[in-house]
Amino acid sequence: MNDLEDLKTRLKIAKSKLQNKNLEKTERKGVFLGNAFKLGTELVAAVAIGTIIGFILDNWFGTKPILIIVFFLFGAAAGIVNVFKAAKKMQGDEN
Amino acid sequence: MAANPMQQFEVHRIGPKIEISGIDLSFTNSSLFMAISAVLITMLLLFGTREKKLVPSKIQLMSEMLYNFISKMISDTAGKKAKPYFPFIFSLFVFILFCNMIGMLPYSFTVTSHIIVTLTFAIFIFIGVTILGFVIHGFKYLKIFVPSGVPVVLLPIITVIEIISYLSRPVSLSVRLFANMMAGHTMLKVFGGFVISLGLIGGWLPLSFSVALTGLEILVAFLQAYVFAILTCIYLNDALNLHH
Repeated sequence: MNDLEDLKTRLKIAKSKLQNKNLEKTERKGVFLGNAFKLGTELVAAVAIGTIIGFILDNWFGTKPILIIVFFLFGAAAGIVNVFKAAKKMQGDEN
Repeated sequence: MAANPMQQFEVHRIGPKIEISGIDLSFTNSSLFMAISAVLITMLLLFGTREKKLVPSKIQLMSEMLYNFISKMISDTAGKKAKPYFPFIFSLFVFILFCNMIGMLPYSFTVTSHIIVTLTFAIFIFIGVTILGFVIHGFKYLKIFVPSGVPVVLLPIITVIEIISYLSRPVSLSVRLFANMMAGHTMLKVFGGFVISLGLIGGWLPLSFSVALTGLEILVAFLQAYVFAILTCIYLNDALNLHH
């Protein structure tokens, strides 16, 4: 019985060592790539949404070029906010 | 003669034309590959959980790893409160993963390379998460558009920016998956075309690129499914735990 307990703990230690080693390597690589993809689309999507909202509102109110310009700028700002938030989250994960 | 690299994305009808009140509901190759992925997933999980051995068989190990992976991801990103949503995120991740991976097989069709598919997923998640936020927090959920500690003068501008940022979620979620899958598959096809047109003498370089790209594409296929699921978890977390 004692031997079995002993084996159990030894197995546990060996397993956790192996797991940590493997996980860290693959996870790090994957997370970096995933983050790289994330930031790009985050920026572009907000600009696109802002422009579309401006376009729709322009059609509603008949103020052709004004709102689309304003909302394009808002969209760009939102994109930067998105990237900022995502980057902050990444930094939070690292620590 | 190189084949058109975009031809692989064409949706065509299989079997008879089905039309219900003006909407074309025919069975297409896209639906066929969705059905194939669903069947494969069901089979994997059914066989994987049929015999619950202490020393797991390969297929049982695979389904258990999948379960643990998603379970860990949810508890890491969205906390304990998100446990009831495990089935949804699990299905989402596994379905996207299988669609992406089946798309890597020659002569197959990549369902997720069409924006209508990914946008449907994303809008469904977006609406679901928004409803969830309002159900749990009531009108307090609107607070996510008003960050705390902002001067009153800037408040209207910040609110508009936050609303646009919130609305851009489904777009960035769907465009990311769709663009990655489509770009990767187009690139593979283009390099494959180079191999044929350069022949025995010059074809080796694009061939080696093709091999490397295939490896990269398999990584991307997994990664995009992972990113999609993890972002769903993050949005869910925002809706469940309001903190600003």
